[in-house]
Amino acid sequence: MVGGALVLLVVLLVVLGGFLDGLTLSQTGAYRAQGERLWVLSQDSELQLPRSRLSAEVVEQVTAVDGVSETGGIAAVSTTTSLPGSDELADVVVYGYELASDVLPTPPAAGSAVVDRRLATLADVREGDTLAVGPDATPLRVAGFVEDTTQSVPTLWVEMGTWRELATVANPAGALPDGAVQALVVTPAAETDPEDLAARIDAATGATSTVDLDSLIDGQPSVAQQASTFQGIISVTFVVTLLVVALFFALLTLERTPLYAVLKALGGRSSDLVRGLTAQALGISAGALVVGVALALAAVALLPSDLPVRVTGGRLAIIALGTLATAVVGALFTLRRILRIDPADAIG
Amino acid sequence: MPALELEAITKTYGSGEQTVVALDDVSLQVDDGELLLLMGPSGSGKTTLLTVAGALLRPDRGVVRVGGDVVSDLKPREVARFRRDRVGFVFQHVNLVPFLTARENLLAVRELGGGRVDAAAKRRADQLLEELGLGHRSRNLPSQLSGGERQRVAIGRALMNEPALVLVDEPTSALDSKMGRQVMELLRTEVKERGVASVVVTHDERVTDVADRVVEITDGRITG
Repeated sequence: MVGGALVLLVVLLVVLGGFLDGLTLSQTGAYRAQGERLWVLSQDSELQLPRSRLSAEVVEQVTAVDGVSETGGIAAVSTTTSLPGSDELADVVVYGYELASDVLPTPPAAGSAVVDRRLATLADVREGDTLAVGPDATPLRVAGFVEDTTQSVPTLWVEMGTWRELATVANPAGALPDGAVQALVVTPAAETDPEDLAARIDAATGATSTVDLDSLIDGQPSVAQQASTFQGIISVTFVVTLLVVALFFALLTLERTPLYAVLKALGGRSSDLVRGLTAQALGISAGALVVGVALALAAVALLPSDLPVRVTGGRLAIIALGTLATAVVGALFTLRRILRIDPADAIG
Repeated sequence: MPALELEAITKTYGSGEQTVVALDDVSLQVDDGELLLLMGPSGSGKTTLLTVAGALLRPDRGVVRVGGDVVSDLKPREVARFRRDRVGFVFQHVNLVPFLTARENLLAVRELGGGRVDAAAKRRADQLLEELGLGHRSRNLPSQLSGGERQRVAIGRALMNEPALVLVDEPTSALDSKMGRQVMELLRTEVKERGVASVVVTHDERVTDVADRVVEITDGRITG
């Protein structure tokens, strides 16, 4: 009975975790595409890329900081693009960038774009196609595809000159003069502590907030709100798991009180009984984890592909450890009752 | 030296006007290899005597010795070890671990208190089950055994740690007369072969001939 309940709770935890990670990852692909580089944004931007402005002077200051290996400008503008063979438009974010990464190739030639693979799943977009981007339908030739760079909507990646032209039309208020960028990504020199470097950059400019990737992602309001909501639900699910296990073992201990009295009479210590109970809790929860994760993966596979669900190894590890720990704690709620069992009750 | 020696044991329950004297200055000796039957009406004190003898209850006065060692003054941790190593119990309601096989139930008492289940322990469990006529049932769960078979497994469990003393509470109460007699005769055989002292509490007068000695207890006093 408790095994079945635990299986369902594990399924719920995996699916909820999958949605949380799916939503987070689908809104941060462009940031993650820069790898583990530091991000430099203007101090008053509250880590929001569209609000950030770094002048050419600040860019020079950052580049000159000791411990900076390389810097690359980056900027984004939201707009729309045509889709081949369709009258409909798709929302996209166009990124101008300067540095290649493990995800992004060297910026394509002017008038070309590297395209988020997600766009190809919405329409039959192929390499060599031309997209009409922005209010004036600026033509951009598809130079290639990149994976996992979605920022809520698909992204297009262009060199900074092309981006400036597009931004001037798509969002005149957000257009940047030559040399200015919204943010910089910084590769620390070898053996440079990123945290120290970030502090030195901010001290040198007096006008920037330099953060690592995790801090940048955590600083996005939508990500933080979703995370807190889902973490709340996940925490409640763990509490329910705790209560289910605690109730089960409380009933089990009640039922087995005569047996435990016998085992104590035979020379068993309370610690022997607690160890046995803990082993049972771990065994039951481990079995429930295996079945629950398998069922959850099958359920996730059946969901429509446009739903942002991603089951990650890290999330599964957290759920596994959390479930095992919760089961042990739940089982130990019966500790006081076990300690109070009198071996003399075994007779008479 | 007697295997079990109770010297002037007094045990009371409650206090004030509610005080009940369960054992009143009881003295008793049981020798190695002796099977003693303790009989008496309900509430006479025979179960209390068994629990005091097995160090499950501490007497208010008097001394309990098992194999010459005073056990009535042992500390709680020492008492648990003493019970595991020196005393075997067979309980009225048997209470085998339901999810362990007959053999595993025997081995479980070896593990209690941090003991080790080695090859010798396994051999002993197998030998005991064979002697008790349960060799072919060693891999059965308690739910797959008859009442008599479960009682025999409980006897094997009591003998597993090679105790000096076996205390048995109403072993035939849940068995028909034929099965009850078989169990008592088996118990006698084991007690005699191993030279173990045994005290058996029972109401069943049909098995008195199996015992070496019958002791009657009434109102907390040995009366015969």
